[in-house]
Amino acid sequence: MTSLDRADVLRHIDSAAPDTPVVLSLGGNAREMLAVAGRKGNHFISLDAMGQTVSVALGLALGLDRDQAAGKVIAVEGDGSLLMGLSVLSTVGHLKPSGLVVYILDNGVYLATGGQPTASADIDLVAVTAGCGWRGARDVSTAAELAEATAWALAAEGPVLIRVRTSQKQLPAGYFLEDPAILAEDFRRWLQSARSARLAN
Amino acid sequence: MTSAGTVADDKPETGQPARGQRAADRQVLEQQVLERRSAAVIAGIEAVDPDHVLHLASSTLKIVLAHFIDGPGARPGRRVFAMTREEEGVAIAAGLELAGARPVLIFQDNGIGNLLTALLTLCQPYHLPLLAVVSRRGGLGEYNSMIHTISERTEALLDAAGVRWFQLDGRTPVERWAAEIERAWAFARATHRPVFVLVNLMGS
Repeated sequence: MTSLDRADVLRHIDSAAPDTPVVLSLGGNAREMLAVAGRKGNHFISLDAMGQTVSVALGLALGLDRDQAAGKVIAVEGDGSLLMGLSVLSTVGHLKPSGLVVYILDNGVYLATGGQPTASADIDLVAVTAGCGWRGARDVSTAAELAEATAWALAAEGPVLIRVRTSQKQLPAGYFLEDPAILAEDFRRWLQSARSARLAN
Repeated sequence: MTSAGTVADDKPETGQPARGQRAADRQVLEQQVLERRSAAVIAGIEAVDPDHVLHLASSTLKIVLAHFIDGPGARPGRRVFAMTREEEGVAIAAGLELAGARPVLIFQDNGIGNLLTALLTLCQPYHLPLLAVVSRRGGLGEYNSMIHTISERTEALLDAAGVRWFQLDGRTPVERWAAEIERAWAFARATHRPVFVLVNLMGS
């Protein structure tokens, strides 16, 4: 049984990684992050690319690690969306991007579409990622475990995955209807300015 | 000629080579075409100078893929890796583009159906350029009977999806192919959208 609501986890991620690129999956993850953190330059919101959040973050991590000390890239994915593109776990394990940190917010259902069940309850993601060659993974279900896992993930050599068991509680959050071209451009500009700041230091 | 109007296998008629010989000659010719066109595709992609090459298995692309996987194109500073599915490659390329990298995708046209949702929910609406070099299957010269149905609809699928594509086949002198691929890369960047180059390596 978990004591964590999705909004708690999103608030925690935003607070723990305010200057880290974060790729957010569509649906509740994106909408609730907007509700708890607002529009953030370091957040790339995927509005509808089902199952592709980890892939986008993988590309980002590979692209950014051309710079030395580029830091981490975080993906915030749901269990349902992950299962739509599970094969990316093998690609990540093969390429081993050292900066990639993936959170799977696992509530066991497709909450945004009415709570249809996913297959996640029967999947040992720690074992799956280990089998795919990831450098580490943890299962967490309390705030203390989450804080400890985040500290570990942000310091560890990636790729690493944190599966967070969450409740099915939802924050009231409206649709987010920003033009995707603006989302991409805002995020790109944030990346450029973060890179400039990094090079200046 | 037999009474049924067919040519006997090993009996040349009126100066024509036997069917077996013609088949052998055709095979040699097709191999030469495959090698010339593959070399042109390699030159075009190398002119783009990608730092990431994402590929999916294809028998018609084997010369091109070999160049990048373990040939001269596998060079320091360039990542070359297989995507498990075309849509995964599209999404990885989207992340690479956001990071300012130079990815190129190489795969076969029967995978177009797999990537449409990722392309139309990510690259197209987010205005992320993407260059895909896509080998043609199906049609004249195709040896695999099951592949015609999807491959012959490639242009129609891309048109329906609003994806800009250019075709390189026997109508374009092979000497122009490399430059056309390089121009397609520039076009993707100028228009902020995915561009597909459909390359027919099979001689049709």
